[in-house]
Amino acid sequence: MIDVQGLTYSYNHDRNYAISDISFSVERGEVFALLGPSGAGKSTTQGILTGLLQIQHGSGQVAGFDLKHLSRDLFNKIGVSFEQSNVYGKLTALENLEFYRKLFDGDTEEPLELLKLVGLDHVSGKRAATFSKGMKHRLTFARSMINKPELWFLDEPTTGLDPAIASQIKDIVMSRKKHGTTILLTTHNMFLADQLSDKVGFIVDGELKLVDTPRNLKLRYGQKLVQVEYFEDDQLKTETLSLVNEEEKMRLGAIVNAGRIETMHTREATLEEIFIKVTGRELVYNEAD
Amino acid sequence: MLRRILAVTLRDLRSALRDTMIIYILIAPLLLALMMKAFVPTAGNTVLNIAVPETASYELVEFLEGYGRVELADDRAAIIDRVRDTDDLVGVVQSGESGLELIAAGNELAGTVEMVEAVLLRWQNPDVELPIDLSMSDMGWRLSPLARYGSSFLVVFMSVFGGMIVMLNLVEEKQYNTLAAINVSAIRRWEYVVGKALLGLVTPVIHAFAVLLIMGFNQINYLQVALVTVAIALISMITGFVIGVYQSEPIGAVASMKIMFLPIMASVFGGIFLADKWHPLLYWSPFYWAYRSIDSIIMQQAKWGQLWLNNLIILFITLIVFGLMYKRIQRGMR
Repeated sequence: MIDVQGLTYSYNHDRNYAISDISFSVERGEVFALLGPSGAGKSTTQGILTGLLQIQHGSGQVAGFDLKHLSRDLFNKIGVSFEQSNVYGKLTALENLEFYRKLFDGDTEEPLELLKLVGLDHVSGKRAATFSKGMKHRLTFARSMINKPELWFLDEPTTGLDPAIASQIKDIVMSRKKHGTTILLTTHNMFLADQLSDKVGFIVDGELKLVDTPRNLKLRYGQKLVQVEYFEDDQLKTETLSLVNEEEKMRLGAIVNAGRIETMHTREATLEEIFIKVTGRELVYNEAD
Repeated sequence: MLRRILAVTLRDLRSALRDTMIIYILIAPLLLALMMKAFVPTAGNTVLNIAVPETASYELVEFLEGYGRVELADDRAAIIDRVRDTDDLVGVVQSGESGLELIAAGNELAGTVEMVEAVLLRWQNPDVELPIDLSMSDMGWRLSPLARYGSSFLVVFMSVFGGMIVMLNLVEEKQYNTLAAINVSAIRRWEYVVGKALLGLVTPVIHAFAVLLIMGFNQINYLQVALVTVAIALISMITGFVIGVYQSEPIGAVASMKIMFLPIMASVFGGIFLADKWHPLLYWSPFYWAYRSIDSIIMQQAKWGQLWLNNLIILFITLIVFGLMYKRIQRGMR
């Protein structure tokens, strides 16, 4: 569905590249997460893939369309949800979607159904300017689904949303994924990327450092650890023990045999830990993430 | 295609009707026309107005017409009623065998009654020297100058308002960053531009029709008015696009649009007040050509050939401006 090679882009047409030599592919029905800190080049990559930025160097195809000769017909196949909500403040939620659906050819979603899906049906007749940030974000998200996209670009879809609504958005994304929609997710939220994606790409300073499945990354870069809470001398203690190291394996056995375990969990490396290990950089989160 | 163009136009219209600044822009020309209309009768009163009964002799009416506008009324009572009206009019009725009686309401402009008295004195005795040198000459005015030039100016000036509406709708797109969403929809760039432009073209035409009708120009060719208004609205619209795609704040955008006022005023007032030999100085301005067209339409002297030529000149200048601004507009739309 997406196949790009050597994407390089400079906003000032000089050697200060926002992205450099980016190559990856996304299969039909796959969820690909582009994971990186702010300013890493995620949005630039998405901008090129959605035609908002003109390709400068490299080549690629999106939904069967050559990036160098994009046709407006591409936009009947893709949906884009922006990080910053961008809806018409003077129009109501319903009017926003009614207007946008008329810009596409072919079959579209029912605006009221979409509003129901994102929990905005009760304010469908209210002007978007009166909405909270989260409501505007949900309306932007809903709008990106109006043309039933085969390929869906989601830029920080849960940023700024409260956990309940973020969870609702995640459910919608999962549901679309089940129905075969290909999704390109750009985020700095590793939990979201971990939960939703089939493949992740780590992008830092405009360079794609690594692409793999979350499972493979955890296996390759993570350690097999067990975190155990137990009572000893009437005191609650916690230890993290390796399942590879012989000595620690014996220690774990001893704790298990003592029988005073409160909790015990296998502990895999998180995507964030792997990200730091691979890139030497930390991901930065918003409070709401 | 048409569905998408209309969607953009109707969205803009809906949004415009919820914007107080645009509503003001929509009604301001009508208010200006109404105000101007209120002033026009005063301008018409610069000549003597005299009412006489229908029974008055042909010679008397002809004599009085040499000095002012003469109205015929049924009888003395009708003349008194007419004199009581607010405008500046004096009644003259037969008194006795050969005498004449002057009827005034007392609200006439200073000197009006005295002038009519002097005219009547001369009627009765042609040898009498009038205390004033009263002469009437036809300078070719068929209309009040205020109605003629004021209306032409208003029609040309209002073309900017169409551009302003386009501009404010684009500023709204910038404000809410909705252009990005438009750019990832299936609408083609030209469809979007046409959709945006429609309101900027239709509004000046509606304004022009309304203003000219308010001013009482019922007999002129409105197809000619529409043709000229659309042509001149194009340049305002291009300016609206240029400013709109770069401004994200309405007050700043309107302030920038004021740049149009100077060439418009210079062109129209230059066309009115400058001697013909200086008119070539205004040939660069499309507003000058639009003013000339509208003026000739109002005077019912417009010929299609001349109008088309003027329009071609306007479109040619517009094309040059568009060529200069094209890249700027295209960059701003991204």
